[in-house]
Amino acid sequence: MLLALLMCYAGFTALCLSTDRHHGELLHSKPSPQRRVGLRAAGWLLLALSIWPAVALGGWSRGLVEWCAVLMLSALLLVLLLPYRPRLALILAGVGLLASPVAALAIL
Amino acid sequence: MKEGFRQAMAWLHTWSGLIFGWLLFAIFLTGTLSYFKDEISHWMQPEVQAYPLDSARSLGVAQTYLQQVAPTAARWFINLPDDRDPALTVMWQDKLDPGRRGNFIQKTLDPVTGQDVQARESMGGEFFYRFHFQLQMPHPWGRWLSTIAAMVMFVALITGIITHKKIFKDFFTFRPRKGQRSWLDGHNAVGVLVLPFHLMITYSSLVIFMSMVMPAPILASYAGDTRAFFNDVFPATNNAPAQGQPGKLLPLLPMYEQARAQWDGGHVGRLGVNNPSDVNASVNVFRASSDNVVHEFDSIVSFSGTSGELLRTSAGQSLPAIIGGSFYGLHMGQFAGPVLRWLYFICGLAGTAMIGTGLVIWLGKRQLKHAKSGVMPFELRLVEVLNIASMSGLMIAIAAFFWANRLLPVGFAERSAWEVQTFFMAWGVSLLHAVLRRGRQGWVEQLSVGALLFVAIPLLNALTTSHHLGVSLATGDWAMAGFDLTCLASGVFLAWAAWKTQHRAAPQTRAGRARSLTLKQEAN
Repeated sequence: MLLALLMCYAGFTALCLSTDRHHGELLHSKPSPQRRVGLRAAGWLLLALSIWPAVALGGWSRGLVEWCAVLMLSALLLVLLLPYRPRLALILAGVGLLASPVAALAIL
Repeated sequence: MKEGFRQAMAWLHTWSGLIFGWLLFAIFLTGTLSYFKDEISHWMQPEVQAYPLDSARSLGVAQTYLQQVAPTAARWFINLPDDRDPALTVMWQDKLDPGRRGNFIQKTLDPVTGQDVQARESMGGEFFYRFHFQLQMPHPWGRWLSTIAAMVMFVALITGIITHKKIFKDFFTFRPRKGQRSWLDGHNAVGVLVLPFHLMITYSSLVIFMSMVMPAPILASYAGDTRAFFNDVFPATNNAPAQGQPGKLLPLLPMYEQARAQWDGGHVGRLGVNNPSDVNASVNVFRASSDNVVHEFDSIVSFSGTSGELLRTSAGQSLPAIIGGSFYGLHMGQFAGPVLRWLYFICGLAGTAMIGTGLVIWLGKRQLKHAKSGVMPFELRLVEVLNIASMSGLMIAIAAFFWANRLLPVGFAERSAWEVQTFFMAWGVSLLHAVLRRGRQGWVEQLSVGALLFVAIPLLNALTTSHHLGVSLATGDWAMAGFDLTCLASGVFLAWAAWKTQHRAAPQTRAGRARSLTLKQEAN
């Protein structure tokens, strides 16, 4: 479940950064159009891929339920962190991305 | 035209949410607590010791006990301890009485010594679970009311999505410290981000209720409830009747193991033995509902009690049963391990928060108009009183329920009923208090009392039992420790909420603080 969590969280952070308002708040600049598209694609890709570790570990029925739970709560966590600790929110996403290959190895 | 439609939806969202909001808040909060039903029960019956699981020993203990105490009973049931519920319970019924559901005798045994455990009488987590859909009302009415509430919730969810069409655009937006704006942001955030859960839980409750309200056999099949047995009678009636000749019941353990092998190592929820002293004795092994996401209503392996021969395994479920069972299973979350169970709990809290923030927003919007005059019309005052009593009052009531569990003497007559009485008395008192006090002071005082009651629960537990945090953490009794720590966290949260409410408005601050302090002392 950890890998799915890391991927969902990073995915949502990417989606969040792909909007003008949040990009401005977090990185103090406007995203270029390519960057926006790239972030959006990366975000959706991460969210879609995060189904894999959940299902691989828990089987289809249990895995999908776990994936939904992780999906919802990673978004909730991100939204609650953003106004209070914006830097931490970004750092967590970065750390999550870095740690996910390690977590993926643990599954394989 | 389109705006007209959205306004109509907004109207529906506002008013359905208001009228049923108070009830839905209570339903959601108690339902959320029910995810930890077994853990709450464990805390509320500290006499039941938790041991490392050993099914063979437990089963042997139970069979020996039943053969000594109730050899001629018509039926036995054995519930083995599991990861969540450390209790080994046995039940028996002396005579089959088709017209009646009750007349079971239930005992809790110590799985090591085999002695009858004299646990304090308490409904435990079962109370919240029952209240969640029966609302402490006479039989059909509570269920009807909660069904209607579920339908209204569904309507409120759908209309809410239509009304706040910007919610998906503002997906990541939460702006704290901006008064009414923040409440709306929060309402939208917990609503949208956890929307799949809200839709699932509301829709599945309608599926469950459909079978409860219409006379279908799927009643709440749950341990410790006589109705659950009535369901279990269904497969049991297929077993051969007693012949009247004495027979010798074989040890149950091999059958238990064979059943588990049939399920590829699945878990056993309960064993039932029909006519244990007869030649035609039969043993039904029921599969635990924690094995699958899809809830199976009767997954059973049956054996002959005297020869040990496997008689029958229940066939797979039909497609409608799988669909119904998956909604049931998703709603109850019995399959969830510890991590997923906590996630369920957090989702439930998010739902509760969504309803609570909605109620606050309704009042906040309308209060603004009367802010200058300082006099509130009666209907707004009524909403305010109900808001306070239904939210902070409920917290106090829940804490009072736990306090009653520790403070009422163990031998007290009708003890578990008095625990429930305490819950409702505390709730009633907080309603009265909300009527008497002005809005903000009412909030602050009730939240402070709630905070104090919850924070003190670990202390109370340490003073009245030998299961304080030092012991429970050291022995790995996570249910006990988790309960104490969660109470502590809830108390801290309530204290924070009280502090926030107090400091939001500068005037009346000092008077309010002095009053809440005196009230705290009274509570002590």
